[in-house]
Amino acid sequence: MKRSLIRIIAIISAVSLLALTIMCLVYVTPEQPSGEMKAARKALSEAVTGGADTYSRKLYNQAMVYYDSAMVNWKRQNKRFYIFRDYERVSVYAKLSVERAVEAEALSRTSASELNMKLRQKIGSLKNLASELDSIFENYPLTEETRIRISQGMMLLEEADIAYNKGIYFQANRKITDSEYLLTESLKNATENLKNYFKSYYQWKKWIDLTVNESRKNNDYSIIIDKFSRKCYVYYNGSKKYQFDAELGKNWVGLKRVKGDMATPEGMYKITQKFDSRKTRFYKALLLNYPNEEDTARFKAEKANGSLPADAKIGGLIEIHGNGGKGIDWTEGCVALTDKEMDLIYKIARVGTPVTIVGSMVNLDSIVK
Amino acid sequence: MGLAAIAMVAVLSGCGKAPQEKIDETNLAITTAQTAEAAVYVPAEFAAVQDSMKAIMAEVEVQNGKLFKNFKNVTVKLDQTLAAATQVSANAAAKKEEVKKEVETLMTEVKAVIEENAGLMKKAPRGKEGAAVLAQIKTESATIEATIAEAQGLYDKGAYMDADNKVKAAKERAVAINTELKEAIAKVRR
Repeated sequence: MKRSLIRIIAIISAVSLLALTIMCLVYVTPEQPSGEMKAARKALSEAVTGGADTYSRKLYNQAMVYYDSAMVNWKRQNKRFYIFRDYERVSVYAKLSVERAVEAEALSRTSASELNMKLRQKIGSLKNLASELDSIFENYPLTEETRIRISQGMMLLEEADIAYNKGIYFQANRKITDSEYLLTESLKNATENLKNYFKSYYQWKKWIDLTVNESRKNNDYSIIIDKFSRKCYVYYNGSKKYQFDAELGKNWVGLKRVKGDMATPEGMYKITQKFDSRKTRFYKALLLNYPNEEDTARFKAEKANGSLPADAKIGGLIEIHGNGGKGIDWTEGCVALTDKEMDLIYKIARVGTPVTIVGSMVNLDSIVK
Repeated sequence: MGLAAIAMVAVLSGCGKAPQEKIDETNLAITTAQTAEAAVYVPAEFAAVQDSMKAIMAEVEVQNGKLFKNFKNVTVKLDQTLAAATQVSANAAAKKEEVKKEVETLMTEVKAVIEENAGLMKKAPRGKEGAAVLAQIKTESATIEATIAEAQGLYDKGAYMDADNKVKAAKERAVAINTELKEAIAKVRR
């Protein structure tokens, strides 16, 4: 009986001690940082939803590093005996992760919004630039290199537009940057070429005024060829009477320098002969006095300074003739009209009728506008 | 007695271990989904699976930190996440196949437009404006063909999203040229 009582007391004591030990352990073990870690996960998730892993990658990565550090420390503390655990550092890292994630999300939303606006504006302005290129250089021959650049620029613009509409802003930004470079460089090069072409504008203006005045003074016909707009204007008594489409030499830009260069000359000329269909293979023709004195003087000077080879020939047989209407610049330097228009001009022109060929009757600003 | 009590506590709290095999299996499923380009084709679903796994690992540590561990809930969540990761892999593969088919269809369509454009260019008016425009159209057509070749290269590498963007751009340009040519031809006929 006494032994049974002692046994019972011993068991009760052991259980009580066990319970007491457990209670002590529970009491002294620090609280786990599950709340802070949950907050960090929520902040990271929201950051990703806001595009932080794309638009504020550096901050987002920092937030992730802090979260991972928190997890590593948590694991490490949990391996220690209960009374020696310290989750302080875990909490610190978790809070830092939240801070960075929130910052990353805010920056991401701002960056994405700014990029969206910038891209929308750029896409719009580049589309306008492309239209400008189209309208200014519709008639002016661009170099093959420039045409290729414009085409590549337009394709990149299209790709940028598609990426933008899909919300892939970084890709759109890269494409737009490349497109902008190609299109602006093309416009710059083409405009430089055009400016170069128009540097003789004031000279052309003088020739035009002289020709129109001569028509007025003589109460007679004068003819002006505008190379840039591919027009043949017939003036009578100082007023424009007829206007025809004209086709020029394959290499119509600039001055005619030598025989065979396929260029249409610029200058003040006169009709020296009229050829009907029996005397020309181009339906009818009006021969001009190319080369005139200026052409000859320039040719000699270029030969003298070595710009032209010694055996170069100045060329000739520049006419206004028929067989035009092909829609392209196909002649070897002559000015071609349709046969019907050639009938009219052949009728009114005579030997001595002035024919002035200019680069353009309007200045570059008017064309660019 | 006190030592015995502590020893007993130590033994009891050692019971219930983290289901490491299941954790490894689920992580592998997530890696498989990543390899299947789930982040590209089904990004929201993939992010959700990653978030679930983060939450599970946190719960594992919560249990590891307790005196009496219970990983039953963790095991249930791991099963769910494993299933979700497997589904995400399947969804990514399906989406990838969808984009692949779209690229193939677009390639066929754009090649048909290019062929039509070649025919229209022969009929295009050779008027003053036509000549200059035709020269640019020829250059554009060459650029379109080059873009399609680039798209084909991306397709062959399996980068279907990038191929999709390129071939769409090529089609837009080809259709624009097609419209321009048809308008020019129609003007002449009027």
